[in-house]
Amino acid sequence: MVLNQPAILSSITLISNFSDLLPLVFFLLFKKNNNEKSLRVIFYYIIYCIINEAIGYYFYEIHFKNIFIVFAIYTVVEFSFFCLFYYYAMPSGGRIKKGVLLIWSLFFTFSCIDFFLINQMNAFDSITSGVECIFIILLCIYYLVVQLKGSNNLFVYSTSNFWIVITFLIYLSGTFFLYIMTENMIKDRAFQIQYLIINSSFNILKNVLLSIAMLMKETPPNEQAQKNKNWDDRLSYNLKN
Amino acid sequence: MYFLQASGNSYGLSNVLIFGTIGMFVMAITLVSVVVFHQRRVIKFNKQLQKMEEEKQQMLLKASINFQEEERQRIAADLHDDAGPLLATARLYLNENLIHQEPAIQLQSIFSAKQIIDDSIQLIRNISHSLMPPTLKNFGLESAMKDLFEKINGSGVINASTRFHDNRERLREDQELLVFRILQELVTNIIKHSCAGFIHLTQNVQGNFSYFRIHHDGKGILQEEFEKLNYDSGGLGLKNIESRIKVLKGNISFDIDSTQTYYKVTIEVPREPARN
Repeated sequence: MVLNQPAILSSITLISNFSDLLPLVFFLLFKKNNNEKSLRVIFYYIIYCIINEAIGYYFYEIHFKNIFIVFAIYTVVEFSFFCLFYYYAMPSGGRIKKGVLLIWSLFFTFSCIDFFLINQMNAFDSITSGVECIFIILLCIYYLVVQLKGSNNLFVYSTSNFWIVITFLIYLSGTFFLYIMTENMIKDRAFQIQYLIINSSFNILKNVLLSIAMLMKETPPNEQAQKNKNWDDRLSYNLKN
Repeated sequence: MYFLQASGNSYGLSNVLIFGTIGMFVMAITLVSVVVFHQRRVIKFNKQLQKMEEEKQQMLLKASINFQEEERQRIAADLHDDAGPLLATARLYLNENLIHQEPAIQLQSIFSAKQIIDDSIQLIRNISHSLMPPTLKNFGLESAMKDLFEKINGSGVINASTRFHDNRERLREDQELLVFRILQELVTNIIKHSCAGFIHLTQNVQGNFSYFRIHHDGKGILQEEFEKLNYDSGGLGLKNIESRIKVLKGNISFDIDSTQTYYKVTIEVPREPARN
């Protein structure tokens, strides 16, 4: 996007690009044998991000005209990954899962309309990105509300899913204004620099938070319920004998 | 001029971008912090509740163990103080010198020993009945309660009656015994503490639950007082009621009727019909 970057910007961009490897390494080190579907989705999402960086670089260097297609596809795929993660991460209950499917369908339809009819494949998908940010932020807030309502005695920050949710919440909150302004300001030199700084910084933050998520332990069983059951069994034994 | 305007506009938008980004970021961090701190407080509160529940469980378990020990001590005392001397006396009558006695004295001794052995049998039967009333085992809860109330009515001080509306299907044997013990304890408490003139027990079935309700016109207790007494260190009887209710997975409630005249104790027991 920027032709002559200052050295500091190049460094930030480079760190941002390589930071994608960080959660991948952590996943392979600590969660390789984990069968949680939500974590697997995030693993594939990280791989997709790395592939997207490579494709983005190729388009930037060779087919700059078509780079907006990469951005548009990235927006849709990122949202799809998040919806899939959310689908698995949310506690059982048909309504919210159906809701996620509905939101995804709506978003997909909207992004297609925006991409083919409004933008006509030659501009940054600011509106779609903005809508994506709003949907994901709302879903993250709903997840946190559900965690608050739940009677689980497990600290919310000791689960991987919580860290993944706050990763998306912080990343998309931070880049929300950036994305909605990109379409109009993309040719502004100062904006290009700001774009690189903000996007790279939040990308690094996202990868650091995802790495923390990969460090979290498995959900322990509810010890108290077991303890109460033991008490009841002892009482029952005493009274029956 | 155009350049300046464009630059000014760009500068303004740049500010929007920076402040907007910072604002959103701060908002997200605040939201996460609020959730984390709120959840910490909730967990702290839940842990306190769990601790209290654990203490209560411990108290109930202790009460049930104490009750068991008291029961054992009572049986031991009955056997030692009553059955022991009776059998020892019978042995005295049937000692080795009996064969050297005259036939009339021998007959007299054998008759006395027989009488003492009969008394011992009766005593042991009473102990056995107090452990497991035979009427309860053979004829069910209704008959057992009628038996108990007949004995109470015999004193002439209090009028006790019972009515079972739906007793087509008996509860499981262990459930019946637990309900019987609860009702027995409640009736004993009413007689001991309430100065009631009458006690009336009714039974009914609704869905998968059996309901037992005791009415009396004495000075009773309400739910709040029951909970309070349950947490106190003394009062084994109420704790035993509570622990038996827990084993039955039922509920107990203490209240007073709308005219403030009769106290009511209602027991709700999930129905588990007897296995044939």
